Amino acid sequence: MSKIAEMKRKRVDAPKLITFLVVLALYVGVFILEQTVPQTSMLFTVLKKGATYALVAVSMNLCNGFTGIFSLGQAGFMLIGAYTYAILTIPTESRGVVYQYFNGGLVQFALPVVPAMIAAGVAALFFAFLIGLPVLRLKSDYLAIATLGFAEIIRAVLQWNTLGPLTNGSNILRMYPTFNSFNIVRPDGSTLYLSTTVCMLMAGVCIALIVLLIHSTYGRGMRAIKDDEIAAEAMGINLAYHKRLSFCVSSFFAGVGGAMLAMYQNTVQAKSFTTAMTYEILLIVVIGGIGSVTGSCLSSFLFVACSEWWLRFLDEKQMIGTWEVPLLRNGFRLVVFSVIIMIVVLFFRRGIMGTKELPDLFRRRTREAIK
Amino acid sequence: MSETPRNVLHIDHLTMQFGGVVAVNDLCLDINEGEIVALIGPNGAGKTTVFNAVTGVYEPTNGEISLFGKPVIRNHPQGKMKKEYLGTLGDKYLSAPLTHTPDELTKLGVARTFQNIRLFSGMTVFENVLTAQHLRRTSNVFTALFHLNRAEDHRMRIKTMDLLETVGLGDLKDEMATALPYGKQRLLEIVRALATGPKLLLLDEPAAGMNPQETEELGVFIRKIRKDFGLTIFIIEHHMNLVMDISDRIYVIDFGKWIADGVPEEIQNNEAVINAYLGGDEE
Repeated sequence: MSKIAEMKRKRVDAPKLITFLVVLALYVGVFILEQTVPQTSMLFTVLKKGATYALVAVSMNLCNGFTGIFSLGQAGFMLIGAYTYAILTIPTESRGVVYQYFNGGLVQFALPVVPAMIAAGVAALFFAFLIGLPVLRLKSDYLAIATLGFAEIIRAVLQWNTLGPLTNGSNILRMYPTFNSFNIVRPDGSTLYLSTTVCMLMAGVCIALIVLLIHSTYGRGMRAIKDDEIAAEAMGINLAYHKRLSFCVSSFFAGVGGAMLAMYQNTVQAKSFTTAMTYEILLIVVIGGIGSVTGSCLSSFLFVACSEWWLRFLDEKQMIGTWEVPLLRNGFRLVVFSVIIMIVVLFFRRGIMGTKELPDLFRRRTREAIK
Repeated sequence: MSETPRNVLHIDHLTMQFGGVVAVNDLCLDINEGEIVALIGPNGAGKTTVFNAVTGVYEPTNGEISLFGKPVIRNHPQGKMKKEYLGTLGDKYLSAPLTHTPDELTKLGVARTFQNIRLFSGMTVFENVLTAQHLRRTSNVFTALFHLNRAEDHRMRIKTMDLLETVGLGDLKDEMATALPYGKQRLLEIVRALATGPKLLLLDEPAAGMNPQETEELGVFIRKIRKDFGLTIFIIEHHMNLVMDISDRIYVIDFGKWIADGVPEEIQNNEAVINAYLGGDEE
């Protein structure tokens, strides 16, 4: 009985508070950096793309890591999200230029950014629901192949010329609001840079929603399905409903992530949303730890930083004194990258975080302190 | 006891055929409210298959299962099975087949444990029991997402703690479920089943792997939960001492077929039962 009383008393525990403060400090840090470091720095590229990938990776983790649905359709849902966002937000005056081969296109209105992002998510969710009806009956590998196939089909369909008035065929979509639209020019001519902060805030809000879902009673149902489908069903958890819920929510946020990617890239074209993109995200999830939101976030920033920034030097000729380092040439970065991945898969199979989350890191320390 | 005990589980001419193997053949069984009924039989007699049919995991080949006086599962050989059917055809069920998924049956009030323990391995002891209350939720996705269902969530947590304390697992609540010793894992499975709010509890070999003392404690525990939770219990067990001790009635099957039923004394002296066990290879 004493334990129940204890449970009633304890509302906010320290590790959660520390986590909140850490995240807050991170955002403040990004905001300050953005005002002081030149905008052309690689840092902001990495932060923006990293935040976008973090959101998509977490959404994939919800499906693959927390519910045990091995879905590989992420690029497809991102594509739907990116296109929905771009199509709905291109300013009406720019449509004639963008849709130059299709007489300005079908859509003749423009939505503000946030409603368009939500629409991007809803569009992805709608397709996920339809695809989920047949596909979620499949298990493991078969489900992966089916969702992968779906992503490929979507990519092909969106490039179809007949859909041109809507999707601009295989031509790029551009001139829609990007993250740079969030920078505010003050009356005195100086600029308040907000693009990276806003990008990270968007990703942060979405990831927070996913975390809330995971920690809700529905999230527990999903984790039960991952651990043991038969036992979960015997405990009254409706498999079809919870799998569909997880799949649709995951796709919704992949769609939002796609919209963010479109904003990051400034232009969007269906052919860049390849299977390789899904694999990149899968890689992030695996490196971060399947079943850890923190892991997915960390590894997505690490991944993006490595591929876009830190390992760039491997692609160029490097001299140490007068000695030319052998092997370094265009493409060598990818070789090193593959080796790193193999090392992770062979020796750190549980990823950076395993199934731990940020609060657990502080928790372990406090528990040891008690002992 | 009341004059006419309410029927909880009624199995009518149940047959389960897998390919050419008839795992359960024409089994009829009745369990009334408040009873502890055991299902025994030599290894491979089809006991767990009966459980799986009752909980909706398998679709029976023939027969009808009623829960709390209402038919929930009904089938008769159809299609290809019509020709291949090897079981005894009791009454032919001409009415439409009826199915329920396991989770629907659990919602109706049937909970079970598994012969080979199936705890949620990625969760703590506490979460295992908490998750089992998910089916009695009143919140929808949105209220749950924004944690607006605090009262309900709190009630679930209190109930979880209550349940864990009654079986003495309260101190282990933050351990991973799979880190518990074997006997405690079995206990946790029962607690998890209780958390779904059942009226009928199916226990599949709860004493497997337990030592004599633990088995005896389990017997006391099963009686206690029947009383405290107003349960009807259907149990598969190999420990004869436990079965004879706690059961009100016993059904014996062999090769999927009914061979005897009655109170423990009758079963102990039943020739067919003795033959089934001695004619087999053990006990």
